[in-house]
Amino acid sequence: MSDAGFLAAIVAIIAGSFAGAWSLRRAWRLKEGKARWRWMGLALLGMTLLWPAWIIGEARGPFVAVTLLSVMVLVVIASGYTLRPARAGRAAREGLAPEPAERAPSAWRTTLRWSLAGPIGMVAAMGLGISYAVWAPGAIQTRLLIGGLIVPLAWGGAMAWTLADSRILRATAVLMGTAIVGFGAAMLKGLT
Amino acid sequence: MTKTKKPASFPSPDLVRAVLKGHSGLGLAFAALLYLVCLTGAIAVFANEFYRWENPDAERMESISADAVQTAYREAMARTAGAVEHVLILMPSDDRPWPTLRVDAEDGTRTTWIANSAGRLTGEMRESWTHFLTRLHINLHLPQSWGIFIVGLSGVALLSSLISGVLAHPRIFRDAFHLRLGGSRRLQEADLHNRLGVWALPFHLTVSLTGALLGLSTVIIGAIGLAVFQGDTAKVYAIFTPPQAAEDTRPAPPFDLRPLFASVAQRAPGERITYLIVEHPTEQGAAAMFEVESSASRIANSDVYAFDRAGTLYYQQQAAQTNVGQQILGSLGPLHFGWFGGGIVKIAYALLGLGLTYLAAGGVNIWLARRRDKGQPAPGWERVWAATVWGQPLALAAAALAASFGPVASLPIWTWAAVSLAALGAAGLLSPASLSRIGRAGSGSLLIVLGIGHLVFFGAHDSMALIVNGSLGLIGLGLLALSVRGSKGASAAVQMA
Repeated sequence: MSDAGFLAAIVAIIAGSFAGAWSLRRAWRLKEGKARWRWMGLALLGMTLLWPAWIIGEARGPFVAVTLLSVMVLVVIASGYTLRPARAGRAAREGLAPEPAERAPSAWRTTLRWSLAGPIGMVAAMGLGISYAVWAPGAIQTRLLIGGLIVPLAWGGAMAWTLADSRILRATAVLMGTAIVGFGAAMLKGLT
Repeated sequence: MTKTKKPASFPSPDLVRAVLKGHSGLGLAFAALLYLVCLTGAIAVFANEFYRWENPDAERMESISADAVQTAYREAMARTAGAVEHVLILMPSDDRPWPTLRVDAEDGTRTTWIANSAGRLTGEMRESWTHFLTRLHINLHLPQSWGIFIVGLSGVALLSSLISGVLAHPRIFRDAFHLRLGGSRRLQEADLHNRLGVWALPFHLTVSLTGALLGLSTVIIGAIGLAVFQGDTAKVYAIFTPPQAAEDTRPAPPFDLRPLFASVAQRAPGERITYLIVEHPTEQGAAAMFEVESSASRIANSDVYAFDRAGTLYYQQQAAQTNVGQQILGSLGPLHFGWFGGGIVKIAYALLGLGLTYLAAGGVNIWLARRRDKGQPAPGWERVWAATVWGQPLALAAAALAASFGPVASLPIWTWAAVSLAALGAAGLLSPASLSRIGRAGSGSLLIVLGIGHLVFFGAHDSMALIVNGSLGLIGLGLLALSVRGSKGASAAVQMA
């Protein structure tokens, strides 16, 4: 693709992202008749994410589009900021997230929780990733890379879950079971 | 009339509160590390531009002849004491329009030279700042394996925070475009945190997932080796790396690269060689691997050709024929650093990276504001956090100054560490407002001095150096303006009190 063609594609992505985000914000602001703006915004953003796959490249295009789209939506949001007077502080509570849950302090539960989120979650996630690499069909490089991507995703998910779940023994059983089954299954077959 | 039961909403308020508890705990535990990794990552997007900034007098070119490369490679080897293990030759590119030759000697020394279009070495490449910055992002200047693992772990923590952050955001659509500044500090910080977190989510997921995988790769490969190859990790690496030429350690004259260039040009006419690695150039078992930028529109678009000393092609890989796994592997780096769509994507990555940095900082600000709202302020942590947030730009600016004008390669690390510690020490004496003000004013002043000093001492031979110096000056002025605004705001608050 020529430099001029690439530049034109970038300009079109920026314009499509801006128009899509602007339409969605209009729908969000309206009390009535918001559906058509919402659909227009979603359609524009969807198209802006899709067409670059044909023009710029099947992977490169959507990644370029989604990067620029995020920036443009944030530009639209920043352009519509509201400045509140200092005294508005007290009245702002309805816009806030709820308070985090309170838990009775317990040293062993805290230690176990962070162990689950840390090393045990890591071993369980590796068990999942490696057993995928061993058992899934496809080229060996593909299985290993997808297995590798599963590890941080599963570990991150395990972290989010164990730090939130109050039933900590259930989380312990699930993660340890996953680790044993995952590594056991991988060792049983071996990588071919 | 019977009452119909309203279906339970997802996520339920109890789930939201439980997830928020975990989100908050994880964010606080990793806040400083995430802040540092994200800030350095946002700046490291411009690593190639910084290389040009550090070497503004290097001769720029679009391409270089095989004869010139051969001359430069022979001269680089001649300047190396002892046997040479590898020579990495980076060819001129749009990002870095001059060739470099890195010679790895057998005794572990490593020297990188810049060559001109005739193949003469014009001097060693200056890379103190870029090396300092990229290593701080990649391994925090800790021992390689530990540092990379810790940074990978921060990527996992970020991924986890993104998952819990989305689950803990029941007003995700209702507040989709709200940005309420002023008034309640907590609401302002929450709006910034949530809008940046939600609308840039694809970027956050991309950089955290690729970063986590890159950081954890050694551990994952170790675990795979242990589970399925009886601990032999070399077998795992061999799945991804080109095979080595047959080993033959008998001495030989330096490997002639010119016929290989001709062979590559014949196989890939009109395509650009990005780099080549010469293995054991003075042994009979010498080999050279060429990476060629193919016309494939993929992110990983490199063809690979490997030759032995006889000039026989013993391995080749075409980008168009790679499998999904090889494409993912080749895309990890470009996707993580934003090196896949030219300057505009780099700028977007830097902006979104700064947004991610703000996400890490803002999470702690929300926690501190919530403590204040509940009548349980944490003034000590407020000072420590202000010192961390504004100490890092100051420390990085000081390190850049030390790297540009200091005589020792390790000076930037020591400067960065000293300023970071001094900022934390100042947290024991100064208020958060003063720490912020001093941090902004100090960083701004240092950046302006750096921009002007670089221009005066190194000149303006490369337009990129001018752009970087101009950007440093503008960012510096912006930080000074913020500092002045901050001090006016603080005096107004004192007068009101």
